[in-house]
Amino acid sequence: MSAHDVLRAATPHAEPRAGATLGATCAVLAKDLRLLWRRRASWLAAATFATLSVLTYAFAFDLVTDDVRPLLPGVLWVTFLFAGVVALGRAFADETEQGTLDALLVAPVPRTTLYAGKLVAYFCALLAIDVAMLALATVLFNVGLLTPQLLLLTALGAAGYVSLTLLLGTLGSRVHAREVLLPVLALPLLMPLLIGGVRATGAALDLPHGDAPWLWLLVVFTFWSAAASALLFPLAVER
Amino acid sequence: MSVSPTGAHPAPMIAARSLGKRYGSVPVFEDATFAIAPGARIALTGANGAGKSTLLAVLTTLAAPSAGEAWIGAHAVSRASSALRRTIGVLAHRPMLYEELSPGENLRFFARLYDVPAADERCEELLRALGLWRRRDEPTAVLSRGLHQRLAIARALVHRPAVLLLDEPETGLDADGLALLDELMLCAPGVTVLAATHRLERVARWADGTLHCARGRIAASGAAAATPVEACAPLVAVRT
Repeated sequence: MSAHDVLRAATPHAEPRAGATLGATCAVLAKDLRLLWRRRASWLAAATFATLSVLTYAFAFDLVTDDVRPLLPGVLWVTFLFAGVVALGRAFADETEQGTLDALLVAPVPRTTLYAGKLVAYFCALLAIDVAMLALATVLFNVGLLTPQLLLLTALGAAGYVSLTLLLGTLGSRVHAREVLLPVLALPLLMPLLIGGVRATGAALDLPHGDAPWLWLLVVFTFWSAAASALLFPLAVER
Repeated sequence: MSVSPTGAHPAPMIAARSLGKRYGSVPVFEDATFAIAPGARIALTGANGAGKSTLLAVLTTLAAPSAGEAWIGAHAVSRASSALRRTIGVLAHRPMLYEELSPGENLRFFARLYDVPAADERCEELLRALGLWRRRDEPTAVLSRGLHQRLAIARALVHRPAVLLLDEPETGLDADGLALLDELMLCAPGVTVLAATHRLERVARWADGTLHCARGRIAASGAAAATPVEACAPLVAVRT
């Protein structure tokens, strides 16, 4: 086949085929999962940070109390939040630095599609770390944490967390001080998620938690952050 | 106004009317009006910082125009539609590739993103044409700058675009690579090309005309010294 045949071998289809958007989302998802594995240093750093945090809490609390259950919800969610900052800090920074964000933006797919694919990939990765933390905390604190209810709360929290921090990571991806900027921007906005997560986890562990529907707070926050971020992402990548 | 080489007046493939772009209060270029006929190959010239890359960023929908409008075919750039982006192939001054993925993985990803039919066959075709087939499974990070550029050319061509918007496409290419660039992109039949370049000695090999950026204006100019101005002028009509 000659070089000119490379250009002329087939006629491009002018209109996208049915399912093209879903196909593009899956392509971004598969690409990001592959890249997450190959760039696993940052995820290993996040997992190491989370492991050390839980271990440190376990040793520290062991010195002052025999009943760590009231402290567990706070320990788990604070660890989740900070491990996520480490893990997600470069979600869009690598795309910006390699110029691949521009390659994605000139592709004929809705920009929300790019966001959705990346969201699912990073959700899977963060959820894996969070579940590993639950397993570790179960052993260290001798409290059953791998229950369906806590796994659901963790998944909801991870979804809300990733959807918001991905948007903020996009906004900060062209800023030199992004490693500082992301937690400064994200943590205040994540307070509803922290409060809902801690309270709902307390309820799941049969701790006093008040009458408010904490699980619903978590659901509403996750839905709001996912929907708002999906709508704002096209504006966030605009130059 | 758009003028074809034969004197007919087809609808332009790339056009701009009073197009301007500024960052804050700093104008990059202003009041650019031009039209490029289908199949024309235009060199975009000018000194560093003259606005060539910014004009290409506007045409590729990566930057919104501050004033005026531009069109690729019938599609307004300001609307940044998927149909417009399906029409263009973009080669930026950076390769825009995932270093941790192999050439094959990079190309298959972009083929899926563009919903290219028979994507695997298309990717093999391009990798073979650009001399990357034997290195298709190596990490892109270990490839030389020239091979990066070849892979970037493959990425830009993967969906068979009708319009190529290129920013310094010769970067890093050796003689064989330049020959492939000429054959596959700059001199490709039936494809409209707008390419920013500093390699003025090569412009005569492929360009039908030029757009020249200087002092915030975009104007028609003779191509390279070897290209007669009268050969360029009919293809590009410019008002500044």
